[in-house]
Amino acid sequence: MLEVTGLSRAYGDRLAVDDVGFTVPDGRMVGFVGGNGAGKTTTMRMIMGVLAPSAGEVLWDGAPVAREDRVRFGYMPEERGLYPKQPVLGQLTYLGQLHGMTQAAARDRSTDLLTRFGLGERLTSKVETLSLGNQQRAQIIASVLGDPKMLVLDEPFSGLDPAAVDQMSELLREHTSAGAPVLFSSHQLDLVDRLCDSIVVLHGGRVVAQGTSEQLRDSAPLRYRLTTGEDTGWVRGAPGIEVIDLDGPSVLVQPQDEAAAERLLADAVARGRVREFSLVRPSLSEIYREVAAA
Amino acid sequence: MRAQAPWRLVAGREIMVKLTDKTFIVSTVLTVLLVFGSLFAPTFFTPDAPSYAVAVTSDEGEAVVDGAATVVSAGNAESATTAERVADRDAAEAAVVDGDADAALVGGPGQWELLSEGGAPGPLEAAVTETVRTSALAENAQAAGTSVDALTQGSTVGMVDLAEDGTVMPEAVTYAIGFAFAMMFYFAAIVFGMQIANSVVEEKQSRIVEILAAKIPTRQLLLGKVLGNTVLAFGQIALISTAALIGLTFIDLDVALPGLAGAIGWYVPFFVLGFLALACVWAAAGALASRTEDLQQTTMPLIMVLVIALVLGLYLEGFWQQVVSFVPVLSTILMPVRLIEGDVALWEPILALGLVLGFCAVTITLGARLYERALLHTSGSLGWRKAMSLSKD
Repeated sequence: MLEVTGLSRAYGDRLAVDDVGFTVPDGRMVGFVGGNGAGKTTTMRMIMGVLAPSAGEVLWDGAPVAREDRVRFGYMPEERGLYPKQPVLGQLTYLGQLHGMTQAAARDRSTDLLTRFGLGERLTSKVETLSLGNQQRAQIIASVLGDPKMLVLDEPFSGLDPAAVDQMSELLREHTSAGAPVLFSSHQLDLVDRLCDSIVVLHGGRVVAQGTSEQLRDSAPLRYRLTTGEDTGWVRGAPGIEVIDLDGPSVLVQPQDEAAAERLLADAVARGRVREFSLVRPSLSEIYREVAAA
Repeated sequence: MRAQAPWRLVAGREIMVKLTDKTFIVSTVLTVLLVFGSLFAPTFFTPDAPSYAVAVTSDEGEAVVDGAATVVSAGNAESATTAERVADRDAAEAAVVDGDADAALVGGPGQWELLSEGGAPGPLEAAVTETVRTSALAENAQAAGTSVDALTQGSTVGMVDLAEDGTVMPEAVTYAIGFAFAMMFYFAAIVFGMQIANSVVEEKQSRIVEILAAKIPTRQLLLGKVLGNTVLAFGQIALISTAALIGLTFIDLDVALPGLAGAIGWYVPFFVLGFLALACVWAAAGALASRTEDLQQTTMPLIMVLVIALVLGLYLEGFWQQVVSFVPVLSTILMPVRLIEGDVALWEPILALGLVLGFCAVTITLGARLYERALLHTSGSLGWRKAMSLSKD
């Protein structure tokens, strides 16, 4: 289990990461969500030890993470890194060896994975001659070599087509099934929603929300959509009701509580025909926009 | 469980990448060929020994030409001079004009004439003149009641070539070897230094450095890079030197090889330490850049140091040469030259080696510090001073 507590990083006077804390339990996939400059990459670099924290700690199974642990972490940095002018198999073998594998084992495993993801005929091609999608596949393969205890992946799915996303998420699932915690960041919220067991939302260097997507949805404010036969302008004056969006006969409201919602429905029925009155479940991106705007 | 120490993997990769790089292979092969070529070329281009045909009209003329032939072959053993008998002066002139003869000797004792078209070949003219003069001298001496030997007694000068006793090399040779040593170090330091800097910035630019830094300590990465490139630099220079030495034994240049072997024996440790002293600084220069384009700027101080070292190494003499031959890096160029020239006490190269070793410790510490601090700094190139003040990330 990976645990991050009170992690901060300052660049000069600016706090890029401010008192960040979350856990990535064994066998779970945690999505790391946040806009540009939210501090995701900085946090991941501190987890991997390529950047020193200004404050806070990274714990592995309850103890401060050591270099011996990190050697067994698979890492895919935000800005992709492979030697452009070297054959893809050669450098995956090299990276596997740096991971502690023997040369033969590293070559076999790399060959298997490259073949599995359709690069079996490009083993000796230079990385720069591969398409961006294939470079991305090679990059993900690089991070899973050497039987990693944990995976830290910065935007692993950007630039992949939906089929490749499925292939790659299947590969990550194999690792969570084996008990490894996986932390990955993404801008694609629907993808995070679909793949992750839980989500950590970062904004302005701070954790603004975390939990499973159910928990996040439940914690979101109660909202209803009311659609009637005529204009709904009258809703603006209703007690305990905040109007979020009003468009002629349809209005999105945020009532103070259930009672206020029931009163609103009764008023609407008294005024005429009610076509729709429904509880609105926010999507993850709406929740994200909400917490990011707060 | 780790199959190999990380620095060995890194060094192995540096070497393999270079050894499979076509540009590197081609340039090495070309250099070796060039060295061979420059040693053998003179023998190919030396013209054949000249042979002269001289038309003569009388027995006296033939005798003079035979005498001249002895003189000419004393100067160049492979050169031959032959007399060709013709009927008369007209025939002799015709032979010269037609090109059948290089010159014609006509007339007789007291009125010899050497006919030629546009001047007789120098050695032939000198030999004929000398032969005629000697025979005239002998006749005149006899007429005066004495002999040529008596007349020329005590007029010879003995020639002694000190280089031939094998202990002192001719000055031109020591200069040539010193120049070769200096150039080899200068080129190896720049070529492989740039290679180190390039390979660092390549990893920075392609961002693979983040993966590497997460897997192995940056010092191991640096160590592997520096050692891998030192092995390559030294291997390439050893190959070229071997080619040069083999080439030297093939051609008729009897350089005093025992002295050269001693000089090379000293040159090797100076070369290796001089290279190592700068290697970590080259790595730091690479780490300061964030793109290949920045290298020109960040490696400038190193290139300046090497150019100054080369210039001082080639032009300093006497007292200052002695003083500067102890300065680290400069000593790689100057001390071997002084050793070839002789007159160096044993403590001098040992002290100079000690100094460069100490200097290595300093530059490796500083270079490694700069490298570690600047390596993951990816936004724009850094100045040397600014990098020193970076906090350790």
